Amino acid sequence: MTGPNVVTGPIKVMETRGLAVGYGTRTVVADINQEMLKGQLVCLLGPNGSGKTTILRSLARLLAPLQGAIYLDNRLLNDLTSHELARSLAVVLTGHMSPGLVTAFDFVAMGRYPHTGFLGRLSEHDIEKIRESLHLVNATTIADRYFNELSDGEKQKVLVARALAQEPEVIILDEPTVHLDLKHRLELMAILSDFCRKKDITVIISLHDVDLALKLAETVVLVKDGAIMAWGPPDRILNEETVARLYDLDCARFDRKLGTIELISGSHDKTAFVVAGGGTGTPVYRLLAKGGFGIVTGVIHENDIDFYISRSVGATVIGAKPFQDVRDRTRLAAMAALEKADLVIDAGFPVGPANRCNVELLLNALGQGRRILTLREREDAVDLFGPAAEKLVYCKDLQKDITV
Amino acid sequence: MIVKTKRYQGLFILFLVILFITLVLNVSIGSVRIPFLETCRILAGHLTDSVQGAIIWKIRLPRVLSTLFCGGYLAVGGLLLQVFFRNPIVGPFILGISSGATLMVALVMLAGLSIGIIGIHPFFLSLAAFSGALAVMVVILLVASRVKNVITLLIIGLMTGYVCHAVTSILIAFAEKEKVKGFVLWQMGSFSGFSWQEFYLVVLLGMPLLIGTYLMSKQLNAFLLGEDYAKSMGVNIKVFRFLIVIFSSALAGLVTAFAGPVAFIGLAVPHMARLTFGTSDNKLLVPAVILFGAIVTALCDLVARTMFSPVELPISAITSFIGAPIVIGLLLKRRVAI
Repeated sequence: MTGPNVVTGPIKVMETRGLAVGYGTRTVVADINQEMLKGQLVCLLGPNGSGKTTILRSLARLLAPLQGAIYLDNRLLNDLTSHELARSLAVVLTGHMSPGLVTAFDFVAMGRYPHTGFLGRLSEHDIEKIRESLHLVNATTIADRYFNELSDGEKQKVLVARALAQEPEVIILDEPTVHLDLKHRLELMAILSDFCRKKDITVIISLHDVDLALKLAETVVLVKDGAIMAWGPPDRILNEETVARLYDLDCARFDRKLGTIELISGSHDKTAFVVAGGGTGTPVYRLLAKGGFGIVTGVIHENDIDFYISRSVGATVIGAKPFQDVRDRTRLAAMAALEKADLVIDAGFPVGPANRCNVELLLNALGQGRRILTLREREDAVDLFGPAAEKLVYCKDLQKDITV
Repeated sequence: MIVKTKRYQGLFILFLVILFITLVLNVSIGSVRIPFLETCRILAGHLTDSVQGAIIWKIRLPRVLSTLFCGGYLAVGGLLLQVFFRNPIVGPFILGISSGATLMVALVMLAGLSIGIIGIHPFFLSLAAFSGALAVMVVILLVASRVKNVITLLIIGLMTGYVCHAVTSILIAFAEKEKVKGFVLWQMGSFSGFSWQEFYLVVLLGMPLLIGTYLMSKQLNAFLLGEDYAKSMGVNIKVFRFLIVIFSSALAGLVTAFAGPVAFIGLAVPHMARLTFGTSDNKLLVPAVILFGAIVTALCDLVARTMFSPVELPISAITSFIGAPIVIGLLLKRRVAI
C-alpha cells in the first residue's frame, strides 16, 4: 500500500516476465519481458504472421502462455477469476461478427455482463454507462440500428463501445483499423487516444499503420521473427532502419520526421532532375517514383519538407545547410547532375535569397538549350527568368508530359 | 426503449391469446366434432360424465397439453443449440440425439421380439428411446470436455448420428416386414400416445429444464458474440458448454421418447420467434420460443389429426410442410441475416 507521502511514478498495469506465447508445441514469440503503464497507448507493430495476435490473445487470457507469467495489477493473470478479469480487461477482436438481430445499443449492453446480476437485467446506472460509451465513440445516432446493418467503420465503433462499457482498466484491440477507410481509421484512433488520456485506460493495440503508431502511441512494440525487436517510445524506436528491418522493406522507405512511408523508385532507365523547395517537389517526386524515374533533386535546404520526402523516395539529394547560402561546390554538383539528367523539371519552388541559385541553375540550363518542364504560371516565370521564360515548357498535366 | 417494451408486451399478450385459442380448437375439433361453446363449457365445468366429456378429458386434453409442452421443449432445445453453435441451421437433433433414440427403439422393436419379449408396452418404448438419447448425450459430453472448437463438436454429433443410423438400417434390413412397418410409423412421430400419466411425467421432467434455460439467458446473450468474447466477459465456457449439451439433449430426448422424432420445430420455431420479435435477446426469446413452439406444434398436430381423418398423418410431415415456407418467407422479408 502506498502512503499519502509516497510519490508514485507511472502505475504499472500489466507486466510480462519471461513470457513465451504460441500454440501447443509451436512457440510464436518468446522472451517477452515488458511492462505496460496506466493510461498508455501501447502499439504492437510487425509484419503479418509475426505473432501480434498471439501476444494479444495471451495477454487477454484467451490463450494460455507456454512459459513465463503475465501480471495484471501485480496479480498473476491466471489467479484472477473470470469475473475479476472481465471487470479489468476488455477485448476487441478481429474476424467477422454476426450476432443476429441485435441493435447497436443491445450490443454495447453486452459489455455490462460482468456488472449485472444473475439474469443480466440492466439498471439505470448500466443504461447510463451504455449511453456514455456510445457517445464517446460518436455512435449515439446509430444506437437503434441492427448491428449487422452497420458499415464496417460503424461496427468497429460499436465494438469499441462495448469494450468501454465493460469499464475495464485495459482494452486490448487486435487490428481494429484493418477494414476501415482513412476517416474512420483516424476517428477510431483519436477515440482510443482519448480513452487513454481522459479515462486513464491502458490501450494495447496491434496496427499496420506505422505513421499512426508514431503519432499516437506512447509505446511501440516491434514484433519480428519470434522475438520483440524493440520496445519503447516511438520517436526513439521508429527510424528508417528499424522500420525497414521490421517489414523487410526494400522497395519503400520510412521517414521518421514525417512518419510517412514512400516507395523507392527501383531500377530506372531515365533520370529526372527536379529543381524544388518548399514542398513543391513532393508531388513531383511521387509521380516520378511511380513512373519509374531515377530522381536527382536540388538544391534543397536540409530543413525543407522536400528534403525528407525526396530522400525517402530514394532520390539523390543535393542539399544545403539550413538557412544558409548555397556553397559554390554544391552549386557545381547540381549543375553537373542536371547535365546528366534526361529530364529537367522546375517544380515551381518559391524563391528567396537563400535559394536564388536555383533560378540561376535553371537559367544556365536554358542557356544550354535544355528542355525544361515547369509547373509555374507563365507570368510568374516571366518575372523570374525574364525573356528566357519563353523557352520553358509549361505543363498542365505533368503525368502526361513526363511520359512523352 | 419504452416503446419497444410496450411492443414486446403486446406481442406476448397476443400470442398467449393465440395459444389459448389453439388449445380450445384442438380440443373441440376431431373425428367427433364438439361445438366450440360446448367445449368451453365442458372444460370450464370439468364435466367428465358425458361421452363428449370423456373424449375431451380423457383423450384430447392430455394430448393437446402434452403437445403444447413438447413443442415448447423442442423449440427451446433448438434455440439453445443455434446460439451455442452460432449457426442458424442446427436443431435439437443435430447432435445425434434422435438417431440414438431411434437406434434404441429399433433394437427393442425390431430385434427385441427375437430375444423373447412378447408385446411391447408403449412405456417401455419411451424408456428405450430416452435411454438411447441419453447414451448419445453422454458420448457427446465426454467428447465436449476434450474438444476446444464447437464446430468439431457439431461434426462429432453428426458422425455419431450417422453411425446410429447405419446400425438402425442394418437392423431394418434383417427385420420382418410387419415389425418394420410399426417401426417406420414410430419414426414418423405422433402425439397420439399421451395420457395424463405421460403428460405429468413430461411436465415434471421438462419444466426444470425450461426454467434452467431461462436462467441461462444472460450467458446465452454473451454467446451471441462468439466464444472468445463470451470468455472475455466472464462466461465459464467449459461449464456452459456442458449445460447446453445436457439441456438441449434432455429436452429433445424427452420429446422423442414419447412422440418419436418430430422434425423441424427445433430448427424453425426459433427463427419465427426471432423475426417476429425482431431481436436475438434471449431474455425475450426463451419465453417467446416456448410460446411459438407450443402454438406451432399444436396446430400441426391438429392438421395431422383432422386433414384425412380417420387416417392420422405423421406429425413430421405436417411440421415441415407448414413451417418451411413460413421460415423462407420471413427470411426473405427481412434484410438482416440471422
